[in-house]
Amino acid sequence: MTAHPWRQRLYHLLLWIVALLFFSPVLWIFMAAFKSGGEIVSPTPVFIFRPTMDNIIRVIQEPNFLDYLKMSFVLSIGSVLIAIVVSFLAAYSFSRYRPTGTNFIMFLLLSTRMVPASAVVLPIFLMYTVLGWSKTFHGMILFYAMFSIPFSLWILKGFLDGVSLRYDETALVNGGSRLHTMFRVVLPQVKPGLVAAFIFNILFVWNEFLFNYILGGQGTTMIPVLLATGVKQGGMTDWSFVASISLIYMLPPIIAIFFFQKYLLVGMTFGTVRGEV
Amino acid sequence: MAQTTYPAEAPASATPSAQTKRRLPLARALDESRFFPTILLGPILVFFIVWNVVPLLWLLGVSFYRYKVTAARPPQFVGFQNFLDIWKSTEIWGLLGRTLSFMVLTVGGATILGMVLGFLFWGSGRMPGRRLALTLLFTPMVLPPVAVGTFFRLIYDPIFGIANFFTEKLIGQRFDFLGSKDLAFGATIAVDVWMWTPFMILMTLAALGSVPKAELEAAEIDRLPWLKRIRYIILPNGKFILMLGILLRTIDSFKTTDLPYLMTNGGPGNKTEFVGLSLYRTGFEAFQMGDASSLAIITLLIAIAFASIYLYVLSYRETRAQLQ
Repeated sequence: MTAHPWRQRLYHLLLWIVALLFFSPVLWIFMAAFKSGGEIVSPTPVFIFRPTMDNIIRVIQEPNFLDYLKMSFVLSIGSVLIAIVVSFLAAYSFSRYRPTGTNFIMFLLLSTRMVPASAVVLPIFLMYTVLGWSKTFHGMILFYAMFSIPFSLWILKGFLDGVSLRYDETALVNGGSRLHTMFRVVLPQVKPGLVAAFIFNILFVWNEFLFNYILGGQGTTMIPVLLATGVKQGGMTDWSFVASISLIYMLPPIIAIFFFQKYLLVGMTFGTVRGEV
Repeated sequence: MAQTTYPAEAPASATPSAQTKRRLPLARALDESRFFPTILLGPILVFFIVWNVVPLLWLLGVSFYRYKVTAARPPQFVGFQNFLDIWKSTEIWGLLGRTLSFMVLTVGGATILGMVLGFLFWGSGRMPGRRLALTLLFTPMVLPPVAVGTFFRLIYDPIFGIANFFTEKLIGQRFDFLGSKDLAFGATIAVDVWMWTPFMILMTLAALGSVPKAELEAAEIDRLPWLKRIRYIILPNGKFILMLGILLRTIDSFKTTDLPYLMTNGGPGNKTEFVGLSLYRTGFEAFQMGDASSLAIITLLIAIAFASIYLYVLSYRETRAQLQ
C-alpha cells in the first residue's frame, strides 16, 4: 500500500467525493438559506452568489420561532432524562435479578417502537382527549419519555449485562448499600451506554413530527411542526423560510454525530451491535 | 438465573457498621426489602401501563365501533364489521402491496448501495479528515424526515428544482418528479434510499470490522480471489450484523409516514400513500376513528411479527456463539 502513495491519495479523494455527494442535497439547502428569494427560485440554479443573513435574521425574528426552538430543546432533553432514569432502574433490575417476564416485557417494549407513528398516536390521542391531556406540557413530555424508554432500556440492559457481577458482590460484601452499589459502582461502568442512549434518543425526539403535531398545541409545539404547517398552508411555499429553518434545525444533529461518532453504531441499532466505525 | 440471586438479607444489614447507622431510613428500608427488584421496576410499569396497555385496550374497544369524531351521533357498536370491511375492500390490498413494494425497493436499494460503498470505505482508516468525511456521509440518516421531505420538494420542483437542471443537461428533458403518476413513487424511493444508504454503510463497516484479522491475512497470503474471500470469509463472519441491519431497515421503512406526507402528501392519486400515511389520513383527516383503529391493530400485529423475527435473529447469534 505504502508503495503507491498516489494510489492511496486517489482512493482517499474518491472517498471524500462519495461523502460530499451524500451531503450535497443538504449543502444545497444550506446554501439556499443564504440566498435571496429570487436566487432560490431562479430556473437556472445559482451556484455563486453574495451570501446574505437576511433570511436567518427574519426567521429568528418570527414571533414564535424562538419559543418553538426552546420547546424542541426542553422536550427532547427533558423527556430523555426522565426516560433514562426510568430505564436505568428497570435495566438494572432486569439485568441483575431477572424477574419473571423480563424477556416478555423487553419484547413488548421493543415492538412498540416498530409500529408506524400514526398507529401509536391514534390510541394516545383518544385517551388524551378523554383525560384532557392533549395540548398539555406534561402530556407531551411524558409521552416522549415513553417513546424513548424502549430504546434506552435495550441499550442499558445490553451494557449492564456486560458488567461483571463481581462489582455488585464486592460492593455489597464491603458494606455498600444497594443504592450505593447501583449508582456509585455499576453506573459508572455503563457510561458509554448512557451517552449513546442519551444522544440518540434526543435525536429521535428532536426529529419527531407527527406526535407533536397531533398531541401538542399552543406552548408545546416544536420546530418540525412549524416547518410542516408553514409549508402546507396556502399556495406558494416560502422557500427562504424553509431553508433557514432547516439550516438552524439540522445543524445540532450533524454536530452531534461529529462529536459522538463512536456511539453511532450502538445508537442506531438499539444497542444490539457494539463497536466503533 | 442462579448467578443473579442475592441473599434476601443484604450482607450490609447483617453486619451493622458505623456506615449503616448514618444511612438514610429509605436506603435501609431498600436494603432490607425483599421487593427491591420490583420496586426498581415500578416507574417503567407505570409508564408501560398508562401509555401502552391502556391505549391498546382503548384502541381495541374503538375498533369495534363505527366512530366518527366530527359526526354528532354517538359511536355505534358494529362488532367485527370494521375488520370485515378492511378485509373485503380492494383498497387495503393495494395499500399493503404498495407499502410492501416500497419496502422491498428502498431496503434493497439502500442495502446494495450501502454494501458497495461500505466495502469502498473499508480501508479508510488513514484517510485525512476521516471524522468530518464520515459525519458528512452519515448526515442524511439523522435529519428530520419533515425537513428532508420539504426540501426535496424544492430540489424536485419542475420549474426551478436543481434535479431538473441536471436531467435537462444530461438527457435534455424536464420532469415533474412529484406530480407525475409514473415518477412520484420512484422519486420517493430515491429520497428514502439516499437517507438510509448511510445506515447500511455503517452496518457494512461494522460487519467487516467483525471479520477476524487472522483469517483475512491468511486469505491475503493464499492470494485467494476477492469473490472467494467474500464468499468464504467475509459473509460467514459478517452475515449476522448485515442481517440485523437489513431487518432494522425493513422495520423502519414499514413505518415511513412523515417523508411522503411532506413530500407528496400521498399523491398523485394514492401512488405514494403507505400504511402509516393512510392511517393518519383515515384517523386525522377523515376522523373515522373506528376504521383507523382496526387498521392500527393490523399494523400492530405486523409490527409484533417484525419484532419476533428481530429477536429470533438476535437469539440465533447467541446460541451459535455458545456452540463455538
